[in-house]
Amino acid sequence: MDELFTDLEKLAKVEKRVAMATLVGTRGTSPKREGAKMWVGEEGRILGSVTIGGCVDARVIADAETALATSQSRLLQVDLDNEDAWEMGLSCAGSLDVLIEPFDLNTTGNTLIDTYRAVRTAIERGKTVAIVTPLNGRAQRQLVFEDEHTDFDDEVRRIAFDLMRKRRSATVSIGDPPVDMFFEVHGPPPTLIIFGAGHVSMPLVSLAHDLGLKTIVVDGRPRFATRERFPQANELLIGIPSEIAQTLSYNSSTFVVLTAHDYKYDLPVLKVVLPAGAAYVGLLGSKRRGKAIKEFLKDSGMDESLLDRLHVPTGLDIGADTAPEIALSILAEAVAIKSGRSGVSLKKGGASLRESE
Amino acid sequence: MAVLYSEKLLDHFRHPRNYGALTDPDISYESFNPLCGDRIRIEVKIENKSVKDVSFKGDGCAISIASASLLTEIIRNTDPNRISNDQLIAALESDIKPARIQCALLPLEALRAGLKIYQDLH
Repeated sequence: MDELFTDLEKLAKVEKRVAMATLVGTRGTSPKREGAKMWVGEEGRILGSVTIGGCVDARVIADAETALATSQSRLLQVDLDNEDAWEMGLSCAGSLDVLIEPFDLNTTGNTLIDTYRAVRTAIERGKTVAIVTPLNGRAQRQLVFEDEHTDFDDEVRRIAFDLMRKRRSATVSIGDPPVDMFFEVHGPPPTLIIFGAGHVSMPLVSLAHDLGLKTIVVDGRPRFATRERFPQANELLIGIPSEIAQTLSYNSSTFVVLTAHDYKYDLPVLKVVLPAGAAYVGLLGSKRRGKAIKEFLKDSGMDESLLDRLHVPTGLDIGADTAPEIALSILAEAVAIKSGRSGVSLKKGGASLRESE
Repeated sequence: MAVLYSEKLLDHFRHPRNYGALTDPDISYESFNPLCGDRIRIEVKIENKSVKDVSFKGDGCAISIASASLLTEIIRNTDPNRISNDQLIAALESDIKPARIQCALLPLEALRAGLKIYQDLH
């Protein structure tokens, strides 16, 4: 998502007017997700893409130039039958909706730049934001912040919060008569916080890095939490783990995994992280161990609803044995939980992202 | 099955006394076991060579947490140099195996290291 802000700032320096093309709807299969952007400058500069290039992007560029010439937003609908899809390099039939909006970049109080700068500021503060844009062009886009009160009606807020939790952008019809609203969700990179710098944590960090997660490893042992063992970790924090846990921030894009397999870290850290609002809290250990940990926490006054958030044993049932397999199992479950999915095999009834939408 | 830990030890583990941090302590020292990862920080306010206030913070096993909790009770209003290893271990009222003596003495190690720095400066 950094690319979006960088592209906009680049264009603001060299272009007076720009058309912003946003992929706001997909049906069937598409190579990019809702929210993908392409910028077409009045001087001809092109940044980004709403597909993987080819004919669709060419049509978007042509429509963007029309939007700039007429100063009118337009919703481009690209329907692909099977033949077109194959010709365009797409694997199956589908259709795309692309919202194209012209903007002046050099006016003061520019709504487009102001909006995205506000979003970037919120992200830098660790917040997730939804930009809500009515596709009928009759109302201005507005922002819904993850943790702030807004004047939106409950349905818009509910949908925005649900999509922010899943970190998905989507178009949803709201109201009567229905109006299509595009919810463009932006947030900080998902973060994986690992308490325990043992052998399972090493592949956990590597795999999380490949998935685009920021990683933080916490341990009380300087001999374990080393750069040599965790070359890809974004942060290595050494100290009293529960004390460090209190200094970290948790939100709907934070995964927490406790791998120490030691009650002396697990108990005090869980007291901090379970109420903190992370998307996922997983504890390495058996069901029996998990039950004992939960009972201890319950006896010390923790509410049952908080205990229900704990995933123990952590991970999906894939027969994980080695440390990398355990890491895969844990991250697969964390991603499924964050996406609101069951984690079952797609063949046996799980829904792919596109099919479910 | 034999009871390894006394009720007293378990009580101090489950309900540690003087847990937290002091404002502007004279001594603040953190000790840790490099292999098992127990970490205990002791904070002390000294007045007339006596402990006016004391607290601890840390993540550790039942023995080290209980020991830290008991230590804070024992040394309050006393000369902190006077507590011995045996006195602290005895206070746990448990059969501490040799391999776990290190856990029991970790808080005392932190106190002594902190005291040494304080006394070198005063």
